Amino acid sequence: MADQAITDQAWHWPAGNDRVPYWIYTDLDIYQRELERIFQGPTWNYVGLECEIPNQGDYKRTSIGDQSIIVVRDADGGINAMINRCAHRGVQLCQQDKGSVTEFMCPYHQWTYDLVGNLLGIPFQRGVKGKGGMPNDFSLADHGLQTIRVHTRHGGIFATLSSETPNFEDYLGERILGYYDRVLDGRALRLLGHSRQRIGGNWKLILENIKDSHHASLLHVFFVTFGLFRVDNESRIEMDPTGLHTALSSIRGKQELNEGTAQMLSFDSDLALGDPRLLDTVPEFPGDQTVVMHTIWPNLILQQQSNTLATRQIVPRGPGAFELHWTFFGYQTDDEAMIARRLRQANLMGPAGLVSIDDGEIIERTQNGIRPNPNGMGIVEMGGRDEEDADHMVTEVALRAFYKGYRNVMDL
Amino acid sequence: MSFTAKLRREAEDLLTDYTTAIDDGALERWPGYFADPCLYKIVSRENVDSGLPLALLLCDSPGMLQDRADAFTKLNVFAPRIWRHMTGPVRLTADGELTRARSNFVIFETLSGQNTHVLCTGEYCDVLVHQAGALKFAERICIYDTTMIPNSIVMPI
Repeated sequence: MADQAITDQAWHWPAGNDRVPYWIYTDLDIYQRELERIFQGPTWNYVGLECEIPNQGDYKRTSIGDQSIIVVRDADGGINAMINRCAHRGVQLCQQDKGSVTEFMCPYHQWTYDLVGNLLGIPFQRGVKGKGGMPNDFSLADHGLQTIRVHTRHGGIFATLSSETPNFEDYLGERILGYYDRVLDGRALRLLGHSRQRIGGNWKLILENIKDSHHASLLHVFFVTFGLFRVDNESRIEMDPTGLHTALSSIRGKQELNEGTAQMLSFDSDLALGDPRLLDTVPEFPGDQTVVMHTIWPNLILQQQSNTLATRQIVPRGPGAFELHWTFFGYQTDDEAMIARRLRQANLMGPAGLVSIDDGEIIERTQNGIRPNPNGMGIVEMGGRDEEDADHMVTEVALRAFYKGYRNVMDL
Repeated sequence: MSFTAKLRREAEDLLTDYTTAIDDGALERWPGYFADPCLYKIVSRENVDSGLPLALLLCDSPGMLQDRADAFTKLNVFAPRIWRHMTGPVRLTADGELTRARSNFVIFETLSGQNTHVLCTGEYCDVLVHQAGALKFAERICIYDTTMIPNSIVMPI
């Protein structure tokens, strides 16, 4: 179905941050503004983990918004990123999602670049038999690949297309940085694998989904029943000052009937796992939290649920679709039992996840409901109308904070 | 080596019964096609080629198979759909006492009011054993080629 444009109407946010107009999920011009102001704007976009490209010449192809980029490790061990586009005629250089090279060569006219993006050479630059060739004043040094600012922290790689982006640590803010460092604590990471899915919904819906703490107690029977993430658990919702980054943390509860679970239609106190090893969790992080879900603006969900760790990179594909690129990881120090545990618990997440199947489905269903109704609006009043941190999950506060930040960035 | 006609017929029956059960939505039959111990995995071609161990779905015990069947039928929330497995001919090989089987698959997925689409394509790599008088999967590794899953895989394949 085609995405709708409502360009004949002025964008007017209907009320406070406790209401969300549906045109932000459907309008093409809004989407274009998002690409410009958010993905090409002063944001740090997650583009991968260092353990994906451990050796010199290893590269991966990924995206910032709709822009295809290459992330590559150079001869000095540094990580570089550039637009995946030959400086000559615009041909995409990399067609593979990953690989290892000594240089990048465009197949069209064989312009060749090194691992930093410098143009090394052009065939026939001086002509053939004294004829043709590039003008004498053509400078290889002026025609490298378009390079992108990169920042790495404890194994995570981030890139920005803007020269105005503040340094990464200030961008995250002290508190969210603290949570980031809790999981990516400087230990060398171990890559476990990738999965990718395309979901027919607006890209913001998956950020909302992760920031929406109370849906997990209603939609996800699996979470509810086994107490992995539930409103009666001891929890915290914390934002950075912009409201755009969030950390949801919680302590796993018991499979018991109480004031919270009694209100959950889906709670089943008798359901038992045929193989309880799925939930055989070993504490491995400081503090009591058993789950921390981070949303790092604009395109990263960093997940620590029990012992399953993953990044989800959000790639928008028009107003009505996005991709999720999942990368599951552990640490180089993991023993065989821990690796097996992480792989088993990975069943919770991903495109066939015991929990995340529900989210992909519900997001598409949301988009289907919203698409014909751009002038409608969503209600985000659970837990009040404020945007302050909360010490419980029965709230949509992180969505209100998110839309406070979004409206600032988008000037809406 | 050559296989007896009986073993070939048993293997073809097992593979066909398996996909028919899923296409019929009879997931309660699904765990019964496996031996004990067993291994069922859905893995991407990309991870296999890179030597990465992550599975999209992993069951390494009959209990986990049962938990997945229960989740698909009782716990997960997804739009109603029809699946149609199309599988290719089976190639059987002997590996010591084991029988290995390989076959290709395509799964078409139909949601109400939408075009039928290809959910994924790939290859089954199976290890078959006789247990309690019937041929069963000791291993069924589903290696999918599809690099971008259309939303979710909501049932075993």
